[in-house]
Amino acid sequence: MSRTEAKKPSLCTNDPLTKERVSFSLSVLSGIVKSCYGPTGRLKQLHNGMGGYVRTTSQSSALLGGLSITHPVLKVLTASVQNHISRFSDCGLFTAILCCSLVENFQRINFAACTVTKISRHLLSLCTDYLKSEACGCRISVDFDNIKTLLSLVHSILASKPACMLNKTEANHLSTLVLRAFLLTIPHTIETNVVLGTCVIVPVKDKRVMDSTVFPGLLIEIPEFQLARTFPVKRVSSSTIKMALFCISMSGDLSNTGEGTVIVHHGISLEVAVLDQLLNLGKQLVNDQVGLVVCQKVIHPSLKQYLKEHHVITIDRVGVSMMEPLSKMTGSQPIAALHSVSPTCYGSLKDLRTESFVSKHFLHLIPNDTLVCSLILCNRSEMAWDELKLACQTAEHVLQLTIKQPLALLGGGCTETHLASYIRHKSFTLPTNVLKAIDCSRTQYQLVADAFCRSLECVACCLEHDDGEILTDMVYGHSWSIQSGFPCDCNWSDLVLKCGCGIYNNQQNLNWTVLRSQCIPFAPQSCSNEPSINSTDHLILDCFTAKYSGLQVAVETANLILDLSYIVEDQN
Amino acid sequence: MAFRNVNRRRHIGLQQLSSLASIGRTLLGPVKSYKFIVDESTNESVLTCSAVRLLESLDLTSAVGQLLNETIQAQNKEYKTGMTTQLFLIGVWSSAVLECLQQNVPFSLIVSVMSEGLNSCSEKVQCLQLSVHDLYKGPDSVPIHFSSSSLGPQIIENKTPGIGANSFLNPFVHILKEVPVSKEESVPEGLHSHQASPCDLHNRCLNSHLCPTDYITPSLVELVGNKTMPAVPGSSLIASSYTKRTRLTHSRYFNTPGKKHCSLQVDSFGGPPTGPVACPYEFNDFEQLAMALSHGNQSSMKLVQDIVRCQQQVADHTGSSQFNIAEVVTCCLPGLSEHYSCVCPGYITLVSPEKATVTKQLQDRPLQILLVDGDLTEKYRHLGFNRPSNVRTISENVGLQESSSESLWINCVLDILIQAKVNLVLVKGNVCESLMERCILNNILIINPVTLNVLHAFGKGTGVQLVTYLSQVNSHCMGSSVWVDFWRTGDLSTMELDNKVPIRIKAEGIHLVTAVLSSTVTSKMQVTEDQFWTCAYRLHHALTDQKVFPGGGAVELLCLSHLKTLEEQSLKQPDKKPSGDFYMSSCWLTKSLTQYKPVVLKALASGWHQYLSRVMCNTAHYASEFEASTSIEHHLKKAADCGSPSAYILKEFNKGDKVMGEFGLSAKPQEAVKIYDNVTPKVEAWRRALDLVLLVLQTDAEIITGPNRNQLLNSHVSSEFIFL
Repeated sequence: MSRTEAKKPSLCTNDPLTKERVSFSLSVLSGIVKSCYGPTGRLKQLHNGMGGYVRTTSQSSALLGGLSITHPVLKVLTASVQNHISRFSDCGLFTAILCCSLVENFQRINFAACTVTKISRHLLSLCTDYLKSEACGCRISVDFDNIKTLLSLVHSILASKPACMLNKTEANHLSTLVLRAFLLTIPHTIETNVVLGTCVIVPVKDKRVMDSTVFPGLLIEIPEFQLARTFPVKRVSSSTIKMALFCISMSGDLSNTGEGTVIVHHGISLEVAVLDQLLNLGKQLVNDQVGLVVCQKVIHPSLKQYLKEHHVITIDRVGVSMMEPLSKMTGSQPIAALHSVSPTCYGSLKDLRTESFVSKHFLHLIPNDTLVCSLILCNRSEMAWDELKLACQTAEHVLQLTIKQPLALLGGGCTETHLASYIRHKSFTLPTNVLKAIDCSRTQYQLVADAFCRSLECVACCLEHDDGEILTDMVYGHSWSIQSGFPCDCNWSDLVLKCGCGIYNNQQNLNWTVLRSQCIPFAPQSCSNEPSINSTDHLILDCFTAKYSGLQVAVETANLILDLSYIVEDQN
Repeated sequence: MAFRNVNRRRHIGLQQLSSLASIGRTLLGPVKSYKFIVDESTNESVLTCSAVRLLESLDLTSAVGQLLNETIQAQNKEYKTGMTTQLFLIGVWSSAVLECLQQNVPFSLIVSVMSEGLNSCSEKVQCLQLSVHDLYKGPDSVPIHFSSSSLGPQIIENKTPGIGANSFLNPFVHILKEVPVSKEESVPEGLHSHQASPCDLHNRCLNSHLCPTDYITPSLVELVGNKTMPAVPGSSLIASSYTKRTRLTHSRYFNTPGKKHCSLQVDSFGGPPTGPVACPYEFNDFEQLAMALSHGNQSSMKLVQDIVRCQQQVADHTGSSQFNIAEVVTCCLPGLSEHYSCVCPGYITLVSPEKATVTKQLQDRPLQILLVDGDLTEKYRHLGFNRPSNVRTISENVGLQESSSESLWINCVLDILIQAKVNLVLVKGNVCESLMERCILNNILIINPVTLNVLHAFGKGTGVQLVTYLSQVNSHCMGSSVWVDFWRTGDLSTMELDNKVPIRIKAEGIHLVTAVLSSTVTSKMQVTEDQFWTCAYRLHHALTDQKVFPGGGAVELLCLSHLKTLEEQSLKQPDKKPSGDFYMSSCWLTKSLTQYKPVVLKALASGWHQYLSRVMCNTAHYASEFEASTSIEHHLKKAADCGSPSAYILKEFNKGDKVMGEFGLSAKPQEAVKIYDNVTPKVEAWRRALDLVLLVLQTDAEIITGPNRNQLLNSHVSSEFIFL
């Protein structure tokens, strides 16, 4: 019998953004993300307060994943950002910060939501058109023949995650490794459909970062004692080892007994029956000249023993994450049955070796074509390792995005200030017919544009956490940091060193001004083909695709949040 | 979700870190103060003198406390040494950083300058590294033979004055009064014989009472009184040959030259003089290396040396050579006096009296061994086996009882064991009680729990494969040529060991060595074991790194002098463009680097400075930290005047009367023993310590997720939190 309870009425809140609790929560969230941004960003300790694992991080994916947010308005924001992260990995904090400041700045001008939405959509389209155009002054094209730009791209990502605890040498070393690993996943012959290989991150915790390395092929850690007993390998030919890949448990248990009760007569053992089946399977594998058996889950000790006696190497518990690269690399079909295994499922390996490395032992699976590589990633503590792994994955993803669209945006706040200068300039020179088309006055348009630009500049300012101040120059619209507390009329050129992205050094003619101060709009110049470009140091670069999408997500989400008039909560 | 800003005013996290780490201050250096940790709710207490055990016993629920514990445990897991240094440096560096913050140094600048400063120091101190190869000629030179009878006790005395003079500290000296140099001592001779295979060796052990040279001389019998040592079957205490000699040299019983010589003949040169004559200098070299790494734990290090000798002995037969720490186990005998501590090839463990009876039956003959890496119970299944919940067994016979399945299983297991003629089973996990009883009745000895590395050592030595279930047993899973006997030192009664009997399991070709550790004070047992492992790992790291640092503060002193140089450089050339050493993320920080760099470098240096003065104080050679500090300044000044600080430090180290000499325990300067430190563990301990401090420094907020919102709301710190 089911019990019915009277339903509670739904709770309806109107104009949620005007409520103090919402704006307070929003400002706390905004404070959290802003303080995490950039290479000097502050870290957050995430834990459950009951002695659980303490995660120290400044990366958006770990941070937003760890927050338990209940308020719907905040949920809209974090869900959009998390969705962006899942698609692009990078620029999560940028998106979150821009979205928060857009909401704050648009609220301040207090227009009807639809007007703001319309104008900000238009502003967004100005931005995206500009970024996509050849004339864009804040992007550079990535030349895959020249490793320097790619290295800068990876280095910028790793260096902006302080919780990885990398020093300069280590950051350089890892940038090279990540890039090398990525290059190993690019096919040698280019056909119409290019499919990139996989880079598997092999965890080695509690070791020095400098011990990290890259191997082509796959490395699977094995216990030391297994090392001595694995060889010789059974080969089909001198360069072929047949291998079977199982994705089901071979532990000999009855995993799928289903619902209801299974009744067994006394004297009949289901376990023995399953084990017999496993041993039969073993016999078949031996007959089929399989040299290596890999199982995602556990292999029964008796089957292991049987296979070992027939010189078949077994690796079990490789985990689900290894299955795809294993299958891809060896051409084997993951087997999900314990009987009637088709020989077509078997894959092949070129060679199998053992590697000992930082006092750990690995089986090295060498495929015929090396589109799979293993990045052995070391860091001194569990927490720093987790952070580093995330950073390396982001970097790898960014490289993949960059190969699709070989562009990079200038980092260090320069893209934001440049874009803001561009929008300011555009909004002043906007033709009247455009204003008519979006049905607003020039003043309205300029106020919204100003809020939009201030939000962009706010992102650049968030890179500064040590009481510095951000200047912008009136030529390129780049961002420059100085120590705060200098009077406005002093000679800025004595104070600045180089711009945020590192492309320009201090030059006399650049005419700086404090960011957020009123100044005459100007059309920022493009950075390309300038003699003054600093070519010795690493540039700070951001992923074009990720930032481009982040900008769109931030504006659309801010519009959505501003447009919320009611929250209806089901209280049942 | 709750959110707390930990960064307001003074940095809460760093304050917590500094106060937590300060509890470890007295644990630094060779003279440690023990700490009692008392649990007020249960009145249980723990005696500790190491950073790891201290933190293990503390309730560290705060986030910073947990991070501290994780950092120390990671160092322990990886290196087993350097944790106390790490804890101390975490403490002093976090206070130093707090001081920087008070002087308004930007956070990011502290992070960059400290991190790069440490990096620069780590590179600088590389010039002090001493190659182990130069110190002694590799493990092959570990002296085993003292077959030259010309090597009289007087010579030894002259060659190793430091150790000799120190030997009054050695508990072995006292053994002489109670435990005579008896036939047990012949076992090391057997061991040290190149001609004896392990099997022979074993026979020698077992049948040693048949060997005429094993009989003790009348003069020694007087010594022991009526204790009939030779009657104890198969006992084999392997004391360090070196120790033995020292003991003999200094015993008042041996002050007549004639007698001394006689006893030495019996004791040490009883076996035929085989193999090459070891060079006494090489002996000294290895001895010195080991002792220099002992950091005051001479007795533990002597055991480690004996282990190296034992393993070397086996390695001579198998070709492999190196100190293999994975094949070392300890067996603790709490309550017994320290002089029972010794090293013995094979596996020694404590068993119940019932099993001792079985052992008695089984000794003196080769046994069939079985290695089980799971439990020996009916219900045990390997990891990853999921028992289906919805299977029911029905029976048509009414007479069968529930318990019958277990007895069936036991019968089956017993059948397997008996049919395979297995006498000895080493089990990793639990063993079913009734099976154990049945096995005892059938003269089958089951030993459990046995650690995996012991199982693998037996597996490797005998070629036996490990099994998880007894149904797997076939010819590959059984090994012969395994022996079991009692391990006893004569006057040891079972009562003293909580009714347990130590037995020894030996196999042909096995490299496993057991260090038997004992301590009169039961609560010190853990400390003794930890100290043993620390010594073992120090030697292990020295041999793997193949390099050591001169110890006793030489390295830290060089760091101090190097940082001083860096500081002076930055003061001298303030306008110079910052060097590439310092990695700045923000540009204005690069500009203001020169302004703050000296302050931060001073903070970094203060960590090592306090470390040095604390160690010097703890060795009791300095009355106050001030006095110690003056001495450090004195050395720093001299190093700077000298032009090349590293050369000065090495010179002083070689003189042996440096800051260093004061770390050693020798009473007189001329007796100073050199002290060495490990390279990688030390540099890593610094780096990990600084990483933690900088990590906490950069953390500005604590985000608590999870269900205990109300608990936080009601706590006294609730005002610090923002609830979202």
